[in-house]
Amino acid sequence: MSIRAELKYKIMKDYGAPALMVLQDFKRRKPRPIPEAFGPPLESNKRLKEILSRHYFLSRYTPGVKKVAWVTSGAPVELLRAFDFYTIYPENHSALVGAKKQGADYCGIAEGSGFSQDLCSYARIDLGHMLSGKTPAGKLPKPDLLFCSNNICQTVLYWYKAIAHELNIPLIHFDAPFVTTEQTEADINYMAQQLQDMIPILERVSGRIFYLNIFEDILKRSMETSKTWGAILDAMKAQPAPMTIFDAFGHLAPIVSLRGLPVAQDYYHFLMDEIDTRVTQGIGAISDERYRLIWDNIAIWYKVRFLATFFAERKMNFVTATYTNAWAETTGYLDVKNPWTSMAKTYGQIILNNNLKHRLDLMKKMIKTYSVDGMVMHSTRSCKPYSVGQFDLRKTITADLDLPAVILDADIADERVWSEQQIHTRLEAFCETLEGSKHG
Amino acid sequence: MLRFSKHETTFNEITKNMNISIPDRSEYLKTLAQSGQKIMGVLPALYPRELLWAFDIHATEIWDPPGEILHANAHLQTTICPIVKKSLEFILKEPDIINAGYLFPHTCDSLQNLGTQVKDLIGVSLPVYTFYNPKGSFNKMTTKYYRDILQNYQLTLETIYGPLNPEKLLAACVLSHKIDSYLLAIQQARMTDHLAMNNLDYFKLMRAQEYLLPSDYLSLLEQVDILDQPSESPRARLMVSGILPPTSEILRFLDELGVGIVADDLLAGSRRIPKFPMDTPVSPLDYLTDRFFVLPPCSTRGGDLDERLHHLSKLMDASQAQGMLFDMIKFCEPELFDHRLLVKTLREKNIPVLTLETELDSHISGQDKTRIEAFTEILFEMASA
Repeated sequence: MSIRAELKYKIMKDYGAPALMVLQDFKRRKPRPIPEAFGPPLESNKRLKEILSRHYFLSRYTPGVKKVAWVTSGAPVELLRAFDFYTIYPENHSALVGAKKQGADYCGIAEGSGFSQDLCSYARIDLGHMLSGKTPAGKLPKPDLLFCSNNICQTVLYWYKAIAHELNIPLIHFDAPFVTTEQTEADINYMAQQLQDMIPILERVSGRIFYLNIFEDILKRSMETSKTWGAILDAMKAQPAPMTIFDAFGHLAPIVSLRGLPVAQDYYHFLMDEIDTRVTQGIGAISDERYRLIWDNIAIWYKVRFLATFFAERKMNFVTATYTNAWAETTGYLDVKNPWTSMAKTYGQIILNNNLKHRLDLMKKMIKTYSVDGMVMHSTRSCKPYSVGQFDLRKTITADLDLPAVILDADIADERVWSEQQIHTRLEAFCETLEGSKHG
Repeated sequence: MLRFSKHETTFNEITKNMNISIPDRSEYLKTLAQSGQKIMGVLPALYPRELLWAFDIHATEIWDPPGEILHANAHLQTTICPIVKKSLEFILKEPDIINAGYLFPHTCDSLQNLGTQVKDLIGVSLPVYTFYNPKGSFNKMTTKYYRDILQNYQLTLETIYGPLNPEKLLAACVLSHKIDSYLLAIQQARMTDHLAMNNLDYFKLMRAQEYLLPSDYLSLLEQVDILDQPSESPRARLMVSGILPPTSEILRFLDELGVGIVADDLLAGSRRIPKFPMDTPVSPLDYLTDRFFVLPPCSTRGGDLDERLHHLSKLMDASQAQGMLFDMIKFCEPELFDHRLLVKTLREKNIPVLTLETELDSHISGQDKTRIEAFTEILFEMASA
């Protein structure tokens, strides 16, 4: 560890980052006007932006101070926290690029270098970033370690393998067997053993020793944070719902990429307080919530604002989503007394690593408990585990619950896939059906 | 009972130069089903076939059933690979030849989801089984886990078909070992021109294992004539990589051009045969475990890229292949991710590379034909230089 680098990091943390926040505040002095269809915006948005900006800003000063790990969203990051890795989430970064409508540009870089256009756009954006160094976050540090788990898809393994080869750095892969009916003892033991076997590698890469008590504290924090996130999502059962799922897509970032850190824990307490106040005072995310919807699959990052406005203007609010729920659903399995097997259960059973019957049952439950009137499914060409099966899920849910539903064919971050006219036609038809069904 | 004797049926496809009769897939399976044989439809790619054989179940593999994709389009998006779509189309027809259920080995995200989609949402009248293949780098722990998976799968089959006869499992492993040994020898002969067989016939022979009873397949392999002396070398020597062999039309076209596919890195080909000869099985579960871990590196298992590059390089050297044909199935993520690095590395070594994209249509486009011709010209020039 270099003393100079550490000093620089400390200065940037204590002075540089706060100065950046002031500068950002100054730039934001003229806020964008809020359309009438929306309720008052969440105060927490500001803090969220600060946390994320600070995280990306400080990351560039980590070399020589902390080891950097690039991590997939479903990986058991708590283990890395015990070694004080500075974690960057390429999926989160790709979503950011997508939200800024720069996905096609980054994808083009990867495609130009030989990666197929048929690959996941998160991966192409990340590979485009890796090959060009481009990022809307200013600058990102190169990883010392890659950490992935195929509990969200096999794609991340192929993708991280490509990075590991290109940058010649170690890759730790957490193999999470797909749950076709239920996890077997062999599955759990296999995953628990993998986690324990990672310790010597992490000690070597980080140069730090593993302490079980530190790890247990991190697990406790992670557990508590996920529970708070779950409680925030639960609060959206209120009518009107205190935020929209499009807000939640943004507020999801800390639970994904800062899970296990105090900053995430504090942030969700702050957000929970605000949500609770809004529920008590009857403040809705949209000014006149008449229809409540469920969203399935990852966000269409480059169209979040468009979709939020489109639905809010029609008095429709998304109150729940399978996607945002993913970081709260299996938290209950975590047990500090049995860290390894409980992590195997928590990370092995997340929605994308679980069978479609599980997903069907979960969606039906969400539809019921959140008093949902209609369903919008995003069929994304980037994510096969999320998208394969959606046609039959829709068919079954529509038939069993008599629920209007629509499938939007798009992509998570490559805006070239968006077909304005086709989507508009489908959405209009869906809204008409929904309005008819509720009034009829 | 699974027959270990040669199956009698109409042999309507003859590899003339070898005098070997390879039964037509559909006719063969129809006859087999009519005879009362239990047949399980197995999707790509890796599974312990020996366990099924020990329960007298014939495993017939579903890779690219012929016919138009119609009904599957109502269940799957347009951006899903044709293997998955064609397989579902086949399953939706509920064909009589499959009577013991379907097995979905864990190969990729799409097949993973298709398994649960068929089982939990679409619903078929036959049982649906799954089999997890571990991913990533392998070590002792993975070996233990794979053995556990085999045991669990055995228990699943026992709940339906009764206790496993250990002797039958050992016999199945011995049979499998013999087949592997023959296939390794044939591959070796192919690489060194000791096999007088054109591309089309060679891959028909390789793919016959997808549907023939193991005993019949072994009989077929026993008839293959491995020459004492090398035969005339093809005008150009090519290696092929991908999931399935190129379509019959492409193989025929390469035959016409005098280009020989002397080695392969195909999931439906050499990637399912151990890298080297294994010892004769003694303990079946140990044998099956070992066999899985000595298979060549494969994108679908998430193996190390350096290991794959090394393996390809060894095959190219051994076969003296001058160029590489990547026959990529549209939307196949495992292959597409590795493809870029493989191409880059081969090009750095000045090895000509051609990539074709297929949706498994039997038809070969004029454009592809021209590209193949141009590519083979380069190989011919290299051969003559």
